[in-house]
Formats: sequence, structure tokens, C-alpha cells
Amino acid sequence: MKLNAKDLISAGLLMSFAAVALWLNLDHTLGSARRMGPGYMPMLAFWILMGLGGITLVLGLFNGPDPIETWTPSEVWFLIGGAAAGTVAGLAAARMPGFASVGWNPLGIGLFVGCMVASIVPSWRPLFLVSGAFTLFGIVLEPLGLMVAISISVILSSFADKTHTPLGVAGLVVFLCVLCWAVFIYELDIRVPVWPQF
Amino acid sequence: MDLIQNLGHGFGVAFTLNNLLFCFIGCIIGTAIGVLPGIGPVATISLLLPITFGQPATTAIIMLAGIYYGAQYGGSTTAILLNLPGEVSSVVTTLEGYKMARNGRAGAALTVAACGSFFAGSVATILVAASGPLLTQVALSFGPADYFSLMFLGLIISAVLAQGSVAKSIAMVALGVSLGMVGTDVQTGQQRFTFGIPELSDGVGFVSIAMGMFGIAEIIINLERPESRSVMSGKVGSLMMTRAEVRRSIPSVLRGTAVGSMLGILPGGGAALSSFASYMMERKLSSHRHEFGSGAIEGVAGPESANNAASQTSFIPLLTLGIPGNAVMALMVGALIIQGIQPGPRMVEAQPDLFWGLIASMWVGNLMLLVINLPLVGMWVKLLAVPYRYMYPSIMIFCAIGVYSLQNNVFDVYQTVVFGIFGYLCSKLRLEGAPMLIGFVLGPMMEEHLRRAMLLSRGDWGVFIERPISATLLAIAAIALAAMLLPNIRKSKDAALQEGG
Repeated sequence: MKLNAKDLISAGLLMSFAAVALWLNLDHTLGSARRMGPGYMPMLAFWILMGLGGITLVLGLFNGPDPIETWTPSEVWFLIGGAAAGTVAGLAAARMPGFASVGWNPLGIGLFVGCMVASIVPSWRPLFLVSGAFTLFGIVLEPLGLMVAISISVILSSFADKTHTPLGVAGLVVFLCVLCWAVFIYELDIRVPVWPQF
Repeated sequence: MDLIQNLGHGFGVAFTLNNLLFCFIGCIIGTAIGVLPGIGPVATISLLLPITFGQPATTAIIMLAGIYYGAQYGGSTTAILLNLPGEVSSVVTTLEGYKMARNGRAGAALTVAACGSFFAGSVATILVAASGPLLTQVALSFGPADYFSLMFLGLIISAVLAQGSVAKSIAMVALGVSLGMVGTDVQTGQQRFTFGIPELSDGVGFVSIAMGMFGIAEIIINLERPESRSVMSGKVGSLMMTRAEVRRSIPSVLRGTAVGSMLGILPGGGAALSSFASYMMERKLSSHRHEFGSGAIEGVAGPESANNAASQTSFIPLLTLGIPGNAVMALMVGALIIQGIQPGPRMVEAQPDLFWGLIASMWVGNLMLLVINLPLVGMWVKLLAVPYRYMYPSIMIFCAIGVYSLQNNVFDVYQTVVFGIFGYLCSKLRLEGAPMLIGFVLGPMMEEHLRRAMLLSRGDWGVFIERPISATLLAIAAIALAAMLLPNIRKSKDAALQEGG
């Protein structure tokens, strides 16, 4: 057997997406071919996706071998741990009074905690520190303003690359703050808080 | 003549101060990202989409187009001088161009790349101008069924020409179409797959998908790879070409322009495919083919002309039929829709400023690029001295501010993170992002046309085969699919894309 691991995982991903989507689509009226309801086109699209996932699955049994990089146990555990911690943190934040449960903050906090837990493993850092820094930007932007958001997410993301020096990061923060102020606030005048608001 | 009058109108639009300025900015940014590896036109254009909202539609599109064809110019510079392709479309330029640089003819290689690109760009501009109104006439006779088949063909070809497994690419198209179903149903107003989230009632954020899959995911992949930068080989040398070099490169430029113009029109074609096709052609047809591998000027002249011609003719299906052929064009559709313009055959008549202004600006932009690139080559190469560790936080911050400013909503920021992680996963599994983006843009349009077609035909699916236009388009799609099942063709496509990107 020449198993193509990448294709098999892709097929699994696509087919489970299609299955969930088809199940969700049960809520919508299909209508007839002549008068299509809201559920008709989604149904077609999801069944085609399912079929193509199936073809990929069958092809993946023969067109390999194409193994994926195996994850170390710590990578796997911290990924699962991150997902669990993120979910718990998000649900907890939604129940807390005050800042944590306002608007989309529970989602942001959940994503952020999940990314941070997973990035304890060095090899996950490029992926989850960049994602985490991006999320942190979203959490901090409205309460603390653009300048603080830029500073802390640049500092956080800088840990994703080992060659950074403290001085270089500081310079980068100043440069980006000035540049973003000039482009987005002075020139384009977008509606975003610049400084912390109390 | 109408054409000349219209072009005159276009130049009138392109030569307003604001449009000239933004065309120039687009070309500068395009050249910069063309030089820098690790960030491509798709990421940059999605990054800058939010910034263009404050501008009129014409100005916005002129600038975004400038980024796309500017990147083709910039990509050749590093390919020749450093053996480092800044863009996928200039991968083949490294083969002969870097050899020429090692032979001390870097200047000549740069000159032929820039002049060939300029010539190809001018020809392609005229081609777009001439074919626009013509194709529009044809498109106006299309019924809903024909439109559906046309989009279907576009999706199939863009998937067939994408890298890697055809089944996976088409599956990604289907995934894109599926994601496009999220949001309010146009005809009944019912919310579909929104989970009660008000932010999703307009659909999944287009900019979030593009930025996440092509911006954030790209950064992460680049960070995982150790940085490798080759050293510049010697000096640029004289920019002047010898008489013999000029004579040798003229036929190559002509052939490259022809190949690029044709492949650019194909959905899924675009710059990368055409530069490779042109390189293969030169290796077979050139009278100096024995010199290939040791710095033949034909190997630079042909592909560089081809990729620039293709980057411009790929606007033809977008401007005349409203169908995006590649990921960059899908972004253009997004930009137009956000500006309130529905791309389609009526655009030429309804938006003459946009259509003719864009065409004229392409020519103006090519002229600017010639000036930006040739004398200032040294400056662009210095850009490479900026290490990636300073670039990725900057890209990230620009993405974040841009996506937030779309609707002043942090939900878009989190959405982008999710698509960033998904994009990373896709690239690990060799699932292509570009077909998904095209499917996402075309999905809702296809649904509308399908519903209309079936309503008109009273529920008879035969309408797609009975109408001659629709039947022809579907037949072409079937042939394209069948061709990929033949092992020989598939193998040569894979080989072509492996080298050509």
C-alpha cells in the first residue's frame, strides 16, 4: 500500500466539514429545482465537496507515499491542552462580569489562552505566537488604544524568532507606532482609539 | 474611431493628479514586494484593500493593479542579481538570468527584462482595450444558464491549472463555494449557517479569508524556514545591451508576449504559468538553444515579457465578464463589490471611467516601472538587507489594523486568526488556497444564476445542454477535466508547475 498521509488527512477534513454542513443544512427548506429554497445550493455544494473528499480519499490510498512530519508527544499534548484551555478560558470569560464578557472578548480571550498554552512548545511558536499576538491586538485595541496594542503584540510576536534583540524590538515598536500613526490616523483618519481610555 | 476616443477618455482619467499618484504608489509597493521574497501580491493587495476604501473605485483599482504588475517587474531584479526569485513568476528567470549576472552581464539582463516587460505590457494593454468592448457584446447575449456554465468552467480550469492534485484543488473550490453560502439568503432573507452571529449575516469576511490564508499563514510558514539569503554576484555592470544581444532578444520578446497574452486570459493562468511556458518554448525554438544553461539572454527576455503580458491580460475576463481568473483577480472582485460596483459585462458601459482609466493607467504604470526599476536597481536590492525578523511584525500589524478598520469590529480580527491557522494547516496538507478564494467569490454569484436559470427553464436541468453557449462551455470544462486524467499531460503539468510555481 502506498498511503498518502497528506491526502488522507485532507480528505478526512473535507468530508467531515461536508458532513457537519449537510447536517446544519437540514434546517433550511430545499424547495424544488424550479423554485430553489435557501437550502438547495448549499446542499449541492456540500454533496459535491463530500464526493470530491471521497475521491481524494480513494486516490490517497494509492498515490503515496507522502508522509507528514510526525509530531512529538509534547507537540500533540500541548496542542490538545491549548484547545482545552482555550475553550475553558473562553467559557469562563463569558460568565465573568465586566470587561471579560463584553462583546467578542470571550472569543478573543479563549483564542489567546489557547495559543499561549500551545506555544509553550518551541516548535509551535511561529504558528501560535503570531496567531496569539494577532489576537492580543484585537483584545487590547479598543480599551487601551492603538499604540499600546501595537507595542505589546509586536513584543509578543518577537519571541517567535530567536534572532531578535531587545534593542531591535524596541526600535521596531517605535518605528511601527510612528508609521501607523502617520498612515492610519493622520492620513486615512480611521476611527480607532489611539490612546488608553479611562 | 471609437477605440481611440475611448482610450483618450481613459488617459484623461489616468492623468488626473490623484490617479497618477496612486498608480505611482501602487507601482512602488509592487516593486518592493516583488523584490522581497516571502510576501506576494495576494497578501499585499488584501493588506491594502481596507486602505483603498476611502478612495474612489477607479483610483483604488488603479493602485491595486499597479501592485500586481509592479510585482512582476520587481521579481525579476532579485532573480537576476541574487538567484532569488521574489515572486513565483520569476522562478524561471533565475535559470538564465543569474548565469548572465555571473558572466558579468547583469545589466543587460535587467535591461532586457525591463524593456521586454514594457513592450509586452504595452501590447497587452492594447489587447485589453480592444477585446473589452468586443467580449462585452458577446457577454450581453448570455442568459443565466450560460453564466452559470461560464463560472463553472472558470472554476474547473482554475483548479485544473493549480499546483498539485486536481481532486484536491476542485475540492478546495467546492469548500470555497460552501463558505460562500454563509450569510443571508438573497431571495428569502433567511440566515444560513450564521449561528446567530450578526457579523456573519453578510457572509464570512472576504478580507479576513484573504489576509488569513495568504498573509498570516505565509508569515508563519516563512518563520519556520531558516532564513537563507545568497550574496550578490559582482556588480550590475553596464545597463546597455550589445547589438547582438538586442538582435537575439527581439524574437524572444515577441514570442513571450504572445504566449503570455494568451495564457493570461485563461482562468487560473496568470503570470507564473506563462513565464514557465515561455521558457520551455524558448528552449525549444530559440536559435541559440545550445547556450541555455550558461546564460542565454532569450531565457530572460521571453519569460519576463510573458509574465508581464499575462498579468495584464488576466484582467480581461474580470473586466468583461466579471469572472476572476486567479486569486489576485478574486481580490479585485472583492474590492469592486465593496465599492458598490457589481463586476460584469455591463461594467464597460456603466463605468467607462473605471474601465478605460484602468487600461490607460496600466500603460502609464508600465512606463513608470521602467523608470523606477532600471536606474534605481541598486536601491531595490538594498531592501533585501532588511531582515525578515523586522518584516513579519510589521506585516502582522498592518493586517490587524486593516482588518479591524473594515467595520471597526474586533470580530474580523479573530476571524482572520482562525483563517490564518486554517491556512497554515492547508499548506501543510498541500491544499491550495487560491482555488478556494476564487470559489468563495464566485459561489454566491453562481447560486443566483443557477436559481434564475432553473426558474426560467421551469425546473428542467436540460437547459444547460440545450443552450449552445452553455453546452460549449460545459464541454470545454469536461475536456479540461478529462485531459488531466491522461497520465502524460498530468505529468508534464506537474513538472511545469514544480519549476514554474
